[in-house]
Amino acid sequence: MSLRQKLLLLFSLTVAAAVAAVAWAVLVRIRHVFNEQDQEKTALLVNQFQHEFQHRSEDVVAALDRIANTERVRSMAVELTQSSDAAPYLTEAQGLANEAQLDFLEIVGPDGNIVSSAQWPARFGYPEPVAQTAWSATTQAFIKREELPDGQSALGLFAVRPVRGGATVRVIGGKRLDQEFLSELPTPASVETYLYSDGDGQREAQDHGGFVPAQLVGIHGQAAHAERYKSLVEAAKRSGQQSNSVLYLSDKREDSVSATVFPLKSETGQVMAVLVVAASRRQMVEAQQHIRAIAYGIAATGILVTIVFSMWIAARVSRPIEELSRAAEEVAHGNWDAHVEVRGKGNGRDEVARLAASFNHMTEELTAQRERLIQSERVAAWRELARRLAHELKNPLFPLQLTVENLVRARQLPEEEFDEVFRESTATLGMEIANLKTIIGRFSDFSKMPQPQRERVDVSDAIVRVAHLYLQLGQGPARDEAVATEGSKIDYSVALDTQPMFIDADPELLHRALSNLVLNAMDAMPDGGKLTLSAKPMGDQIEIRVADTGMGLTPEECERLFTPYYTTKEHGTGLGLAIVQSVVADHAGTITVENRPGGGAVFVLLFPKANPAGEIATHVANERGA
Amino acid sequence: MLRRFALKFAFVRRIVVCCLLMAAVAAANARTRPHYGGVLRVEIDGDPLQRDLLQRPSGLGWRLILDGLTDLDERGAVRPSLAERWTAESNDQRWQFWLRPGVVFHNGRPMNALAVVTSLQESCRLIACPWNGVRVAGQSVVFTSDGPMPNLPSMLASKEFLIRVNGDAGTDPNDAAAIVGTGPFRMKEAGRAKVRLEANDDCWRGRPFVDAVEFYTHRSIHDQWMDLGQNKADVVEVRAGDLRQARQQRLNVVASSPLTLVALQVNDTKLAPQLRAALAQAVDRSALQQVIFQKEGEVTASLLPSALSGYGFLFPAERDLSRSQALRGGITPPLLTMSVDGAGAMQLAAERLALNLHEAGFNVKVIAPGASVQAIRQADLVLRVLPCEGAAPAQALESVLHGIGENKAVAAPDPATAYQVEHDYLEQHTVIPLLYLPRAWGIGNQVRDLLLDARGEPDLANASLEEGP
Repeated sequence: MSLRQKLLLLFSLTVAAAVAAVAWAVLVRIRHVFNEQDQEKTALLVNQFQHEFQHRSEDVVAALDRIANTERVRSMAVELTQSSDAAPYLTEAQGLANEAQLDFLEIVGPDGNIVSSAQWPARFGYPEPVAQTAWSATTQAFIKREELPDGQSALGLFAVRPVRGGATVRVIGGKRLDQEFLSELPTPASVETYLYSDGDGQREAQDHGGFVPAQLVGIHGQAAHAERYKSLVEAAKRSGQQSNSVLYLSDKREDSVSATVFPLKSETGQVMAVLVVAASRRQMVEAQQHIRAIAYGIAATGILVTIVFSMWIAARVSRPIEELSRAAEEVAHGNWDAHVEVRGKGNGRDEVARLAASFNHMTEELTAQRERLIQSERVAAWRELARRLAHELKNPLFPLQLTVENLVRARQLPEEEFDEVFRESTATLGMEIANLKTIIGRFSDFSKMPQPQRERVDVSDAIVRVAHLYLQLGQGPARDEAVATEGSKIDYSVALDTQPMFIDADPELLHRALSNLVLNAMDAMPDGGKLTLSAKPMGDQIEIRVADTGMGLTPEECERLFTPYYTTKEHGTGLGLAIVQSVVADHAGTITVENRPGGGAVFVLLFPKANPAGEIATHVANERGA
Repeated sequence: MLRRFALKFAFVRRIVVCCLLMAAVAAANARTRPHYGGVLRVEIDGDPLQRDLLQRPSGLGWRLILDGLTDLDERGAVRPSLAERWTAESNDQRWQFWLRPGVVFHNGRPMNALAVVTSLQESCRLIACPWNGVRVAGQSVVFTSDGPMPNLPSMLASKEFLIRVNGDAGTDPNDAAAIVGTGPFRMKEAGRAKVRLEANDDCWRGRPFVDAVEFYTHRSIHDQWMDLGQNKADVVEVRAGDLRQARQQRLNVVASSPLTLVALQVNDTKLAPQLRAALAQAVDRSALQQVIFQKEGEVTASLLPSALSGYGFLFPAERDLSRSQALRGGITPPLLTMSVDGAGAMQLAAERLALNLHEAGFNVKVIAPGASVQAIRQADLVLRVLPCEGAAPAQALESVLHGIGENKAVAAPDPATAYQVEHDYLEQHTVIPLLYLPRAWGIGNQVRDLLLDARGEPDLANASLEEGP
């Protein structure tokens, strides 16, 4: 992953995390605030509703008070107390109930029996249980289930008031708790009120585990999703306490209500019904969703903008570094003239600009040093060449000089002796001149190294060929063989991998390089030893080792061993290993030398494996040609 | 001189006083004499003609338009009407009625035996008649039967056997234009809200005093009483349960003696006799009479009122709830439905009875007013108002049974026999007598000489109106 990508990723993740954290915090806070507002709104509605319900209760009590204090009812109470003849008042309750707009009204005589009933006129003469309880002395309203002539029953908000002038005569009345009652309660548009009562379906309620959805009715009939209110209603019935909860009516969050339940109790404290006030949360949830959508949109836009901005920043930050990186690579590849652009001037330069300037300075210095080094090496090479040439040429020249001087002196000798001396001298001259030719030929060969003609070569075959030539091995494949040449003190061994080890190489040059190494090893062991040739695959390369057990090499020798004309031998030209290195380099390989732990040196050659596709790599040659 | 002047002045004074007294007596005589003319306005809750004769036998208008072969006098005794006289033969199995001559229908056609026989045969198509055959015998009509018909003259006075002929307008017997009879009034206009009858000048009984009678129908009791108070009505209905209230409101009320029977008829034959007996023991008649009907009428456990039969006390009317429950014997009866013949106090009485029966272990549902005809007809229990017509126990008992639907001839020459007949019938517990109630009417201030007949209905044909100012 590039620096730019890392920077982009880092910036993006940082900003995205920051935006997400902010968005999360904002949403949590919004939800918290909305919930608080919802609770406050619900509490307000509930309080308002309770107030209205209380107001209705007070209305009922007040209506009964008015009835009880009318002259008509008071005189009736007096007559009932005196005569106990209830017959004339059979229909009295109906008229009074109509005037007071009450759904239920009963006049109960001194004996506790009904004198007149508006809701069930035929019940006259039957006892009214409520009149016998202590509740009849209170002024509070209560819930009562009233039997009706049609066999059904109805729930009502009742109150009991004594009639003045006839303390034992009471009026019991109230309003029906039904859809009409609910519709008269002022409720906001987003609030629904429901009334649940077991009613005449108590047996059905038992069959349904205590809750009958059809019994939960609102202004418009049965409540939708009535089953969702089951737990809340049942809890209110069990505990007799007001409670509230958020109910989800469907899978959608907006279809939820903040429901509050009020248990409505009878005069004995029994929960007769449950009033449900359900405030819709749709508006709140939709507002939440709207805000959330906006927040998500802003966050997404912010992240996108940030990514774009991060790309620009990352590009701006990484571009000089990338240029530095590319320049460094060029330097690494030998192009020491690589330069990078330096942004900014003077004190305006940042660290990267200063780094770029330092890099440019460094490459300039390197180039200069290389030039100086080349110059010095060139001089050194020429000096070495001159020294070597002087050395090489001085050796044959001295015999030539002596021979020529002998010839000159032999001129004085008799002809026979002169002829003998002449023959010997011409022979010596010829031999030394040949020696000079050989020396000159070697130098000529080094200067005229041929272009490698690459072909698919099995390294094993090349090693075996050298071994046959120099180690006098038998014919046939010899993959792992250790022999000692007859009359020699050197033990030879060849260790080859059983797998073919193909490389793309010029077989003659490879043979020449390996021959030089073998001869070099043999020279390193004048008193005998062991010479080992081995080859094996190593990754995508083929490793060839030529090891001897000679004296080994000093660190300086290891460092300069492949320098042309450098030799540790008395009569060496110093070109053998230089030729080997040249051949190895022409085949994109490497050659190193190291001392063996038990003594001796080992040359390690690494060649790239041949291209499996069968195409012979020619790029190196091309590069060389170019 | 002064003495002579004083004597002369006293004489003149006596003459003047005598003249004044004579004038006052003459004016008083003029006031007691009925005045001809005027329109009598009658307001009723239902239909005055009660077109469904079988179900609602209380229509007022029929007897103003139609006459029967016989009629009842103010005491309930049978008197001649279109038939001048009658004879019974063969142990009351053959009756012959001689028609009154010179009687014509409203359309001018003479009333003859053929028209009478045709009308009676038409009646027999609608109800069960006690005779096997009726035929023309000159100017008489002969009824024959396989069994005795001892009370046939009384029965022929009932509304079901009034004589009518089809009019020219059509043949529908319930079409107002088709109602043609021989009564003191003839049909003039029959609408949904108003029926107008005009005096028949050629009536064999003589012209009625008023020129016309207008029935305003479907008026609530409250509206009727309001109209009576404002002189917009002359005759209005007063139900038995409202009699006390009417008197408290100082209405001019005329009421009959208790002569209509309120009874609970048990139609559900699936109920075992024991359960029917339990029903009879569970009803609280006293509460009905004392409270719902405001102490009007009298409780009864017999079909005939005590004043007529004399043996009413032999049928105990007290409620015995424990005996009722014992008779039920732990059996859970099926749900029973109860329909009501009437509204107002009758509906309330039905609900009270349902409450009584609920205490005894019966589950009774009262059919609300306005329910379907099918529901009413299929009711298990029916709270009914039954007419009791006739001066003799046998006649009255037969009319009651006839009202129940029992076409049974009652021959009871003495109270003991009548008791036995009634006892045997009530033992089946298919009818539970509850109350005898009077019939009452509110009368306007301008109405004179309005009396109630033996059926408790106002005799509008003989009523007159005071002359206007």
